[in-house]
Amino acid sequence: MDPELNTQEAEVKLANLRLIKGIWPFIRPYRWMLAACCALILLITFLDLLIPWFTRLAIDGFILPMDHRSGIRIFGISIAGFTQFAMIFAAVLILTLVIDFFQAVFMEYTGQKIILNLRCTLFKHMTGLAVPFFDNNTSGRLVSRVAGDVENMNEMFTTILVFIFKDLILMAGVFTALFIMNLKLALYASMIIPVIVISIAVSSVFIRKAFRTIRQKIAEINHMFAETLTGVSVIQTMASEKLFNRKFDRLNTEHFHASMYQIRAFAIFMPFISFLSVVGVAIVIYGGSVEVTRLQLTIGELVAFLFYIKLFFRPLRELSEKFSLLQNALASGERIITILEQEPAPLRRITPGQAALESIRTIEFDRVSFAYTEGQPVLHDISFSLAAGQSIGIVGQTGSGKSTIINLLNGFYIPGAGRILINGIDQGEFSMNDIRQRTAMVMQDPVLFSGTIRDNIQSDLPDVPDDQLAQALKHANCDFLFERHQGIDTLIHEGGRPLSSGEKQLVCIARAFAVNPDLIIFDEATSYMDSQSEIKIHDAVSRLMKSRTSIIIAHRLSTVRDCDTIYLMRDGVIREKGSHDALTRLKGEYYHLLEKEKITVHNQ
Amino acid sequence: MQLILPYFKKNLGKIILGILCMIIVDCTQLAIPHIIKQAVDILAESDFSHDILVHQVLFIVVLGLVMAVLRYFWRILLMGSARDLEKGIRQHLYSHILTLDQHYFNRVKTGDIMAHATSDINHIRMAFGMGIIALTDALLLGTASIAIMLWMNPKLTLAALLPMPLLSFMIRYLGRKMHAFHTSAQESYSELTELIREGFSGIRVLKLFNLEAAVGTKVARYSEHYFKKNLKRATVTAFFRPLMGFFFNLSTGIVLFYGGVLVMDHQISPGELVAFTQYLGILAWPIIAIGWMTNLIQRGLASLKRINALLDARPMVESPRQDSTTPGPDHSKPDTRKHFQRIIFDRVDFGYDPDKPLLSDITLDIPFGSVTGISGPPGSGKTTLVQLIPRIFDTTRGTLRLDDTAVTAMELDTLREMVAFMPQEPFLFSGTIRENILMGRSFSSDRLDHILSVCQLSETIRQMPDGLDTLIGEKGITLSGGQKQRITLARTLIQDKPVTILDDPISQVDTQTASAIIQSLQQHGSGRIMIIISHRMSALSFCDRILVLEEGRITHQGDHDALMTGSHFYRTSFTVQQFQEAHGS
Repeated sequence: MDPELNTQEAEVKLANLRLIKGIWPFIRPYRWMLAACCALILLITFLDLLIPWFTRLAIDGFILPMDHRSGIRIFGISIAGFTQFAMIFAAVLILTLVIDFFQAVFMEYTGQKIILNLRCTLFKHMTGLAVPFFDNNTSGRLVSRVAGDVENMNEMFTTILVFIFKDLILMAGVFTALFIMNLKLALYASMIIPVIVISIAVSSVFIRKAFRTIRQKIAEINHMFAETLTGVSVIQTMASEKLFNRKFDRLNTEHFHASMYQIRAFAIFMPFISFLSVVGVAIVIYGGSVEVTRLQLTIGELVAFLFYIKLFFRPLRELSEKFSLLQNALASGERIITILEQEPAPLRRITPGQAALESIRTIEFDRVSFAYTEGQPVLHDISFSLAAGQSIGIVGQTGSGKSTIINLLNGFYIPGAGRILINGIDQGEFSMNDIRQRTAMVMQDPVLFSGTIRDNIQSDLPDVPDDQLAQALKHANCDFLFERHQGIDTLIHEGGRPLSSGEKQLVCIARAFAVNPDLIIFDEATSYMDSQSEIKIHDAVSRLMKSRTSIIIAHRLSTVRDCDTIYLMRDGVIREKGSHDALTRLKGEYYHLLEKEKITVHNQ
Repeated sequence: MQLILPYFKKNLGKIILGILCMIIVDCTQLAIPHIIKQAVDILAESDFSHDILVHQVLFIVVLGLVMAVLRYFWRILLMGSARDLEKGIRQHLYSHILTLDQHYFNRVKTGDIMAHATSDINHIRMAFGMGIIALTDALLLGTASIAIMLWMNPKLTLAALLPMPLLSFMIRYLGRKMHAFHTSAQESYSELTELIREGFSGIRVLKLFNLEAAVGTKVARYSEHYFKKNLKRATVTAFFRPLMGFFFNLSTGIVLFYGGVLVMDHQISPGELVAFTQYLGILAWPIIAIGWMTNLIQRGLASLKRINALLDARPMVESPRQDSTTPGPDHSKPDTRKHFQRIIFDRVDFGYDPDKPLLSDITLDIPFGSVTGISGPPGSGKTTLVQLIPRIFDTTRGTLRLDDTAVTAMELDTLREMVAFMPQEPFLFSGTIRENILMGRSFSSDRLDHILSVCQLSETIRQMPDGLDTLIGEKGITLSGGQKQRITLARTLIQDKPVTILDDPISQVDTQTASAIIQSLQQHGSGRIMIIISHRMSALSFCDRILVLEEGRITHQGDHDALMTGSHFYRTSFTVQQFQEAHGS
């Protein structure tokens, strides 16, 4: 499930140093296990190659000689009886089975273990990245990094390493055996190798293209499917089913054409490879027969030749499958490495270990400017200060820069110019964790995680007593949890079900209360609230604010009117500041807005 | 089966032709060991003739060529049909999803449906494409080569095939185990994926409350769990290949040693011995294939069952069956459209769980040409109430009618063509802004301009890089909550429908813009039924009637004055807002 559309399908090179360098730390702890796996693979390949050799020995040593008794020698040990030889043959088979099984399990274990570590590290790394990273990547895309891409990497170890080691070594081993038996015939047979190499090289161009288009199309299909699932009620209430069916049909057909292209590519490549194997047999039969009549080759050797040719073509049969797995794994690897190479958000920005934060007492913005994208400033020369126990309100229209102030204060972004001072010390000298630990925030969109209410509100201090959590819920008017649900043990599902938007927001507010913070930030937190809940919350908030500092962000003036100081923002600049009364008396922009808000009320 | 049968019928010609090609390929393939046998026998008896050899070798090459050409054709014919099946099922699934209602989506996780759309469809294609092709091929090739071997020497054949029953038993046993482990690993994987998704979508909250470590640990725990499940699966899988190889080599060994004895006794020729090993080589593929394919087909059938279950899921909200509408032929559908006079809620109850009603005893009469406002505390059922009108849900008790026609007796399309509905949480599709507003319909550019100005969007859109054709979503720009809300509003208002329902339309819009929108809405409201939910009493100020909903009941209704005296909720809310607005002036 890879919902990304603009996959940068950059050409992935097999020998990609960057990839190897990025993955190596994860392989390193298991390098000896991997080495052991490779050794086992070598052993198995050797045992595989032994079977045709034994066949040759059986034919030449026992079956064809007139006296049937000439006997053979294996590694210097002479074997006189046919039955004895059969026993040895059986023993080799059993040995192969056992080693093969252990190798496979061993390989899986090692691969999965590496993947497990990679996944945990990657997730921790990603959550540690700065917020702009998450602005630029949709969560769907990020999920497929940690889920699908990591899973693809597993193929790297289980299938691809086996491919490189086992198949290539097997193929090389086959020709070694051929050359040992008969130089001339081996040379004849090796004539097909350049043809194979060329046909693989040529077809891989087409096959890679086919895989790439299919991957893209399937990603688009999945994206549309996922989007439809989320927005299905919109489509239904708009009665737009036909439109969406048509759109999907178009995508689906494109995918169909891409897959037909792939089928055609393989329909040429695969039968051609099979044809080459038949040609290989023909060469061996012709050359072999001639050599046998010249007494340069035994019949047993001819039969062994035929066996080896079969063995040689065996890996080629699954080549395409492995090829696509390899492509997938390398592309996934690249994407993972790209993320791992990103620097995590620094917890301290200036000199580490400089300042310890006991509590947040004062906050000061000193001529702070900021732009998300260069050339489009969002904040310009913002200065204000906030003393302990004070409250400020920041009002302004959507896009005036209110929320950006909070994003800077929370350390989600770093100011472009100016300083943010906490207790008179630059914010960058504190650990961001310490600052956040003493801050609580309630945001516009209520975000709850699946799990119990307890999981959701107890923050990173794991052993907050239940009654304290219940107290926080009560403060936030979450009585409904006790009346209609199971209190702090209420189970929340995906998307905050079964709570309504307003209820979710109330729980988020409770979460803020549970932190017992020095600083409380409300960012449009009441937009889903009706006036009555708003009153109750403001009640609780003002109680809490007694000894605490608070910042309230709103586009409705009524929300902030009780604040000690109100800052009116427009286009990234503070236009007016003062108490509600002062600003009203000023008869400026604030007053103007207030009048407008009133008109709507009086209109009835 | 019902699902895939039509595709078999549709592609019957291709399938038959493809299978024919496959049969010829198989026959050809079986001829080659026979030629090898002759060549070896000639050598063993030392009556070598160069001409015969050249003949034999050329014959092999020609056979190879025939095989290659025919293989090309069956691949395209049969695999193409499988892709056609895949395409068809996917389209079927997609259009079915569009008919399902919210009851279904509340019950089933979207992740599960996505899994159906991706892996299950793939499994079906593999099973009914590759699976059936390979199984037919394997059975054909297998029986034919066994028959030839029996014809050459029954004793040796039986001896060589001795291990096979055990192998097929092992394959089936391991296959079942593998499937079970695979399923539980997959379950564990989707839990893990969901956890990761949640972590990323709530990243800001994670960071603000320093929850990264806690969630990281949780992900590690789930990963570990998945690791264990997956290792179980892998261990069984690891048995598969070595076991196949072992049994195949065992048969080769039996042929070599028992066959060797038979050659020494002059019961078979050396050439026959070699041919036997060659036939065994051909047989290896069917044996492996049958093992592999039975799994593939089993998995495909399981997927088919799951997809069928999804396709069998009938929406509870459905158009009436043909026979139930027939008794009254008098009301033809287009008539209802223009002429209905009122929406009537008659003692309506609603709840997902009958014991916990979300709405109880709602009785309402909304006349044409009126504007109705709804307010109430969160969770009081406001959204649910309006969702009943376009039948996002159906009432659990009581009836909802347009004049005398119950909404359940109307064609769903007809009903929804009459209702323009704006949901509480704005949802936009990836595409252009224009596509999102028009939703596939066409309107005059005058109307579009008009609606944009009603929604205070004209200026906003002028500032966008490509105006109305600016891409939004995954590939395009990110909009603010207020912008999304206004685009959703425009999408709703542009449809000139008899009923317009707006669920909290201005909650994320700033006050100035909001009041401008409300003013324009007053004009828009005439000549239709308009219903607006809002927490801001100011947004409801122009309504003809305001309903106050508390705990799923209409506690009060009336115009502003009536509510000021009658409803405590309304009075307090209004007074607070009024006081707030008025204070200081």
